[in-house]
Amino acid sequence: MPNIHDDPAALKALQDQIYRENILRARAMTEEQRLAEALELTNEVFSRMHTGAMWQTGTTDSEQGWREVRRRLDRLRRTHDHGRFADQKPAGR
Amino acid sequence: MTVEALAAAVVAACEAEGVEHMVTGAFAYSLYGIPRSTKDVDVVVSLPSGEPLRRVTARLANLVEFEAQVQFDTLTWGRRQVGTMRGSPPHIVELFELFDDPFVQAQFARRRKMFSPQLGCTTWLPTPEDVVVQKLRWGRNKDLDDARDVLAVQGPETLDMGYIRRWCATHGTTERLEAALAGIPPL
Repeated sequence: MPNIHDDPAALKALQDQIYRENILRARAMTEEQRLAEALELTNEVFSRMHTGAMWQTGTTDSEQGWREVRRRLDRLRRTHDHGRFADQKPAGR
Repeated sequence: MTVEALAAAVVAACEAEGVEHMVTGAFAYSLYGIPRSTKDVDVVVSLPSGEPLRRVTARLANLVEFEAQVQFDTLTWGRRQVGTMRGSPPHIVELFELFDDPFVQAQFARRRKMFSPQLGCTTWLPTPEDVVVQKLRWGRNKDLDDARDVLAVQGPETLDMGYIRRWCATHGTTERLEAALAGIPPL
């Protein structure tokens, strides 16, 4: 069976098809439904991060799992914010 | 605590302090684009000149631990204060002070009122056009994807493209807008 990753044109067509389906699905939803789904996804993602952190650190302590999630998110935020936020405003701004 | 409960608490703190606000970030994006998860609750707050943001953060003190250091974004030099929820999950709250940037002012003036059953309250959100302009202005990869998604889901024919184009010309982001429009597949 051919691997689609070896065929850039076929891969692009598949990506476009998936994106098109996502757009059409979102278009069929109301604003309220889209927001509800985003919130559900967010709560689910945090739950999975917690499960993953507990598994990776080998703990059964739920609070320790959340501390690890907090530590990782803090590192991630500082990485994303690097160069985009500063503690001081330059003189004259 | 769920992310929507946290968002509702931030809105309630603003209301209790009589501080005008607008929920932005992924909440606003998800209303108009393709639903996705987020890590934070972003809110723009309008404070009378010289009024400290502390009024709002103090209201949230039991729920959110705010960093002492206020930060400035290096694009517009607007002020931001970041806090992390005290309990779990560690959702993040980012409060942005409304300031005298012409686009930020226009975006805030055009915000729309909406009752959210998920939040259980009435809140204020930017228009889809302003979400697109803001995302193109920020210009990170994720922002550019978000702008394209809002354009795709809403459809340029339903949006005030003249408004979007004017701000993109002002911000020098017209090329980003054209790239976002070109990225929408035939539907």
